[in-house]
Amino acid sequence: MTAPMLELRDVVRAFPVRDALGRSKGAVRAVDGVSLSVPRGSVLAIVGESGCGKSTLGRLALRLIEPDSGQILFEGEDLRSLSPAALRARRRDMQLIFQDPFASLDPRMTVEQAVAEPLRLHGIVPRAKERDRVAELLSRVGLRPELARRWPHEFSGGQRQRIAIARALASGPRLIVGDEPVSALDVSVQAQVINLLQDLIRELGLTFVLISHDLGVVRHIADRVAVMYLGRIVEEGPTAEVFSNPKHPYTRALLAAVPGQGHTKGAAALLEGDAPSPIDPPSGCRFRTRCPHAEAICAAQIPPLADHGHRAACHRQAELPPAAARHERDAGGERLKRLQAFFSDQRTGE
Amino acid sequence: MADNVLELRDVTVSFPTDRGLLRPVDGISFAVAPGRTTAVVGESGCGKSVTALAIMGLLPGGGRIGGSIRLAGREVSTLTPEEWRGKRGGEMAMVFQEPMTSLNPAFTAGEQVAEALRIHQKLDPKAAFDRAVEMLARVRIPDAARRARQYPHQLSGGMRQRVMIAMALACKPRLLIADEPTTALDVTVQAQILALIDELKRETGTAVVLITHDLGVVADHADDVVVMYAGRVAERAPAEQLFATPQHPYTIGLLGAAPKLEGGAARLASIEGTVPDLMHPPPGCRFAARCPFAVAKCREEAPPLGEVLPGHHVACWREPLDTLLENAA
Repeated sequence: MTAPMLELRDVVRAFPVRDALGRSKGAVRAVDGVSLSVPRGSVLAIVGESGCGKSTLGRLALRLIEPDSGQILFEGEDLRSLSPAALRARRRDMQLIFQDPFASLDPRMTVEQAVAEPLRLHGIVPRAKERDRVAELLSRVGLRPELARRWPHEFSGGQRQRIAIARALASGPRLIVGDEPVSALDVSVQAQVINLLQDLIRELGLTFVLISHDLGVVRHIADRVAVMYLGRIVEEGPTAEVFSNPKHPYTRALLAAVPGQGHTKGAAALLEGDAPSPIDPPSGCRFRTRCPHAEAICAAQIPPLADHGHRAACHRQAELPPAAARHERDAGGERLKRLQAFFSDQRTGE
Repeated sequence: MADNVLELRDVTVSFPTDRGLLRPVDGISFAVAPGRTTAVVGESGCGKSVTALAIMGLLPGGGRIGGSIRLAGREVSTLTPEEWRGKRGGEMAMVFQEPMTSLNPAFTAGEQVAEALRIHQKLDPKAAFDRAVEMLARVRIPDAARRARQYPHQLSGGMRQRVMIAMALACKPRLLIADEPTTALDVTVQAQILALIDELKRETGTAVVLITHDLGVVADHADDVVVMYAGRVAERAPAEQLFATPQHPYTIGLLGAAPKLEGGAARLASIEGTVPDLMHPPPGCRFAARCPFAVAKCREEAPPLGEVLPGHHVACWREPLDTLLENAA
């Protein structure tokens, strides 16, 4: 069996926290003992709410920041053992797409310059072929190559995200981490970019790590999903299975909170309060302070990620009743599906 | 329906700009009854937030209102800034997306809620503060008496939004406008806040205008829906009916573009293209350039908003689209 594209073993990363006067107030363990494996050509989603550590995890995976401990293997190779030069060469294999297409493109670079930069950096094509390659990449993401001489401010949010994707593809990466890549986009434009990402993943055989808070988007494109809460993974498994049979009370609450499932779900399904401060997380299971099922053991021991069909870190998962079935509105039914089929997607960009 | 709390009739909003007159809202009409939630839904630039600001008399520099906006039967679009100030916080109140920017960082949560009570209900400072603490407890801020003495930066995002709601509802307004009230919040907190608005609406009979881009939120919390596109109303209907039998192509496309929690569709319905430049809006239907059903007439002449079923209005020349399905079958 070949090594997975990406493997994380017990990765820990903490950040010091200081008060307004610069005095140390301790540390936030943003990622606290995470192990994950991402097979080649698959899409793994990391979901969770603000402050759960999902963005830190994405940056660790690409080695944009260093872990305090643990191992990160890229195609079986520990990136920490590489020399700076070897790591630089490896960089072309892995890329990051950010949430905000307005902040991720340099306003002083034309589209062509932005997309050509990684080509040049990694010596991917001779200078003479650069322009052709940029044109190819732009049409690959659904933009007309004539737009290459324009500046970022001339484009809409959706178009900018296409440019950012073209730039990420330029070095021919095998692994892409997308940190909320469609969250800033309007729904209709978001659908265009999701369809594009799915095509690219399939056609180029990319391995994709999607960092997202949007469970609909995750369900739509991820093969596997890892749910994070305060720096730890609480549940991980095949997306369809985790969504239809969530085992961890936090995953259940997260799914129940997604709007569009009817008001009938009642206040009982809602979590109370906010997540506790990551500076001083609860002992044992970090979710226990908001968990309706918490018992003494939950405060005393950290629950292991135990495999009952798929992995979940809950002491009580074997005793909990199965998750209540969710029903999503499907009011429009067949008529709506047939009408929506008229919105065929021609991949012409905007 | 003489008892509507809010009635907009053929409302336009225009701003003078260097390039000419910009009209982000161009002839919209809808009404909101007491104790009901009307969702105004659409994507960036559709005019939904400008509509909210127009109703509140908060349009930024040079914005002009045309048409009629009536609050409890009284025309408000012609009020002076002073008169409008007298209504805000009293008869009408608003909750914004970003509570951090709409709360004053220099005053405690309790003082900010108390201020509205002092001004509009003429309570003395002590009574106003006590009542503010009650309001904070009512929006389920734990340990309200202590929290009332804290400043906004000491509160979480969800708690700040609760303070905003307490402020907005302190004087029992007839109308509450909530502009993307939960967009900046995590999903579990979003669910709490929306449930809270529903509950307070039921108790007080306040009419709610919920401005949102999220069709899931609309489905769960709205009684009536106004779908806006590029400054106009594309479709207006009772919520259940809108989701059961959407009529406008834009509504239909939007419903298909949102990824579903239950998975299913291999590919999302994709509305190609982008919204038109409102400095130079097209002469016909504003959605025509992105509409798979458009014919020549759609590009030439703007469709009127017509009632196709009781209470269900749609602005589309191609309505009913169902005949296209029959022809295809």
